[in-house]
Amino acid sequence: MNKVNDRSRDIGKFIPAEDDGRIICRCEEITKGEIRKAVHEGMFTLTEIRRYLRTGMGLCQGQTCAKLVKSIVAAELHVSPAELEPATSRVPMRPIEMRILGNEAKGGDLNE
Amino acid sequence: MNNCADVIIIGGGVIGCATAYYLAKAGSSVIVLEGSDHIGDGGSSRNGGGVRQSGRDPRELPLAMYGIRNLWPTLSEELEVDCEYHQDGNLRLGKNEKHAQILTGLADRARACGLDVRMIDGDEVRQINPYLSHEVTVASWCPTDGHANPLTTTLGFYKTARKLGVRFITGEKVTSLQMVRSRVRKVVTENNVYEGEKILVAAGLHSREILGSVGIDVPMSQSLLECLVTEAEPHMFDQMLGTAEADFYGHQTKHGSFVFGGSSGLEPFNKDNGTPVTSSLIASCICRGIMKYFPDLADAKIVRTWAGWSDKSADGVPVLGSIDEVPGLYAACAFTGHGFGIAPAVGEQLTKLMLTGSTDVDIASLHYDRFKAKDVIGF
Amino acid sequence: MKRYDLIIVGAGPSGLSAAIEAAKRGLKVVVFDENEKPGGQLFKQIHKFFGSKEHKAKIRGFVIGQQLLEEAEAAGVKTVLNATVIGLYQDREVVVKIGEEVRHYKGDSIIIATGAAENMVTFDGWTLPGVIGAGAAQTMMNLHGVKPGEKILMLGSGNVGLVVSFQLMQCGCEVVALVDAAPKVGGYGVHAAKVARMGVPFYLSHTIVRAEGEECVTGVTIAEVDNNFKFIPGTEKHFDVDTICLAVGLSPMSQLLKMAGCDMEDNPRRGGQVPICDSCGRTSLPGVFVAGDVSGIEEASSAMIEGRMAGIAAAEYLGFIEKKELEAELLSLDAALDGLRRGMFAPENRGKNITETEEHIPVSENLLKHGYVTDEEITRFPGFTHAVGVHPVMECTQNIPCNPCQDACPKGCIRIGEKITSLPSVNPESDCIGCGMCVASCSGQAIFLVDETFEDGYASVTIPYEFLPLPAAGTRGTALGRNGQKVCDAEVISVKSVPAYDKTNLLTMKVPVDYADKARFFVQEQV
Repeated sequence: MNKVNDRSRDIGKFIPAEDDGRIICRCEEITKGEIRKAVHEGMFTLTEIRRYLRTGMGLCQGQTCAKLVKSIVAAELHVSPAELEPATSRVPMRPIEMRILGNEAKGGDLNE
Repeated sequence: MNNCADVIIIGGGVIGCATAYYLAKAGSSVIVLEGSDHIGDGGSSRNGGGVRQSGRDPRELPLAMYGIRNLWPTLSEELEVDCEYHQDGNLRLGKNEKHAQILTGLADRARACGLDVRMIDGDEVRQINPYLSHEVTVASWCPTDGHANPLTTTLGFYKTARKLGVRFITGEKVTSLQMVRSRVRKVVTENNVYEGEKILVAAGLHSREILGSVGIDVPMSQSLLECLVTEAEPHMFDQMLGTAEADFYGHQTKHGSFVFGGSSGLEPFNKDNGTPVTSSLIASCICRGIMKYFPDLADAKIVRTWAGWSDKSADGVPVLGSIDEVPGLYAACAFTGHGFGIAPAVGEQLTKLMLTGSTDVDIASLHYDRFKAKDVIGF
Repeated sequence: MKRYDLIIVGAGPSGLSAAIEAAKRGLKVVVFDENEKPGGQLFKQIHKFFGSKEHKAKIRGFVIGQQLLEEAEAAGVKTVLNATVIGLYQDREVVVKIGEEVRHYKGDSIIIATGAAENMVTFDGWTLPGVIGAGAAQTMMNLHGVKPGEKILMLGSGNVGLVVSFQLMQCGCEVVALVDAAPKVGGYGVHAAKVARMGVPFYLSHTIVRAEGEECVTGVTIAEVDNNFKFIPGTEKHFDVDTICLAVGLSPMSQLLKMAGCDMEDNPRRGGQVPICDSCGRTSLPGVFVAGDVSGIEEASSAMIEGRMAGIAAAEYLGFIEKKELEAELLSLDAALDGLRRGMFAPENRGKNITETEEHIPVSENLLKHGYVTDEEITRFPGFTHAVGVHPVMECTQNIPCNPCQDACPKGCIRIGEKITSLPSVNPESDCIGCGMCVASCSGQAIFLVDETFEDGYASVTIPYEFLPLPAAGTRGTALGRNGQKVCDAEVISVKSVPAYDKTNLLTMKVPVDYADKARFFVQEQV
């Protein structure tokens, strides 16, 4: 599954673009320019981008921006978006209050 | 591409990246081989972010103190990335007499090493952190401890090392080391062979297998630990927190979210499916723990949980330094879940060791050859 | 721990269908859904579905939802609502948030039927309040009775964009433009035609430059794009709007599978990150199946068949039925699924440039560019005929898998034949009695009744009409052409609503006979 990925390969220079200021990750307010720049700083995987910038780490967990970030990173790396492994999905699927997650029902039976 | 370098580092975690950075800064050529697809994919991106001295074993405490004194304060500027380092103290919390005894013992031993750490009572704890519940009756307080963001710190070391010319290759899983004329020299991966004058093994749990290929064994076991993070909350406190029994730790990040880790007792037995996955029981257990300490956080929403393997050494402290019987070989592994805070110091001191043969901080007690069986069984 | 034979995540069309099939075969089934109402997207679908009568064609989506719920209940399926599955763990354990607690359940088998989520595109101002997903607009209108906005621009000419545009107008909103960066309308031509004949302009090869406004959307600027999707300077057009709807595709909500370690693939043809599975939804995780959009974006009709297949496969997996029975069932369901995946919009034709129909009739280029068939183009299609007396005119010009019209006519006037995608034609042997069943049965609202000999100099045109309030007989107004432009004055002769029409009213208007082939919509005079 793992693919040899040389982080010193040449992906060209970072060229500023007009729409660099556009917000891509709404939850964490990360712009297109920040994402593009991060790729040139060596963040070649969506997981690294996420850890470096927090894209997709907000309340929606990347539901909105994951595809958008993917296409931006792919364009910067000159690969097709399908070649980039999406970042891992993690429990919980939806944000959940601590008092509820900590409140495990005994027995688990449904109220009939 | 040239597959030869002065140093080949196996493992692209925070230890590997930090060492690569300091080596490159000193002028060495370095290749870093990371088996997974991502830089910092093991414990480096799965820990609680503690940068603390208190509570540490005296054998590794000097490294922690050295790093906090000399490296952490300027790290963000040096790496041109926000490591989110906060030096606002560490509260190690206790709720009963037994906890007080543990904490007092730890504090006494740390003070003997020159660390400023003292015991405080529940009222003083709540003067420092008014959100803590009245269940907390005692704590050790080390004002020079703190926390940082392990994700940006690891990737910051990577980014800067890469800029200095270090060659990083991910998805390059090392299968064995090979000797050439009585020195270790070759690193064999699933796809390639690399050669280095010196080789550092910093591959977490995988280190054991890799070192085994040249006849070195580091006794360690794996433990699957879990953390969770909340949505961003208004700023509450800046201290790093831990407990006497080391079963709960965490802090509020610069972003506002709370990162907490905890243990349920099941960690050494947790099952995984090839990747470190969370269990269905532990996040709930951690939540209950947090609410006992911080009733105010009951309504905070958990947005993510994650798990990571810890490489637990047989005696609770890392294996660090040169492998004398295999010239050219160095190891930095078995960090036992507390490697992040000392990573900059480890990277810098290993660099010194590789380039000059000596270190500023005494790491002799972390030598690979220290593990011994009991003298007699049954007494 | 509480254990079920089958746990299903998602009470949409595929999840409920799976539950019904499994429960009928004796499995103890529970369905969890995070919403307060079951049915997934079905209860937002107020339009009639395409397909064959065996698979619920010409039935409105929300009615299908009700039918599925009744069947599920009769089969003994337990459906738990407001129940969010927060995690799928090893050993087929799910943790569910129900009320103020979390509960742990084990399933001897699990079917993930979580559906899909809307995609977004970015442009300057895309984060302003007022930029919403088309699905969100549908939820507001059709579930909560809330008007999403007054003046709306729709981006996306796929079926979602077209259907929601129509529904927005039913809800009383003004749709100022329908915009798509692609050079051709993506959805069914009949859906486009419904929108175009109400006067909505189509802008193909156009996309949004920016949403305007400080606190919320007050306007939008679009511009034409070239073959590389770059803006062509000087082609900007501005619209005053308060809402921008995005209908730019869906992505499978496959996160539960990924977190559980299921083998996944990134497949653009299936809409993104999907589990690798076989034809009845078996994934790489033993006992874990998938059905519906989560394993690839399609229509609700195919999701229901996929759900049934997964439900039966789960029954076989747990030994409730023999392999023979599974194979027999799969054979017929496969054939049904195959039928739905045929025609011009079949998956294998995606991206292909289709220039003629299966009958070798050149397709309407104008339909693809502007959303309507021109008066000249329409004459070459087999459903467009002239006759003495009242007769159906079928403006169905694309090969889509749909055939309720041929069964709707009690006189057998309409022929499609064995092949479900064939264009309908008129059987000259049969006599139309003007009952209107065909008009009401056409999910694409593409059938009209025309009587060119209605009165001296006048023809009557009967159109499907799903707008309120209904005009009374004698109401004067304007007849609009396929392009949404005025063709002539018109007077309402009658508006018929009978239960068999299922809420598609039949409005008959009188127009000068020369406009019998052109008048296709009616608007009342503004008072």
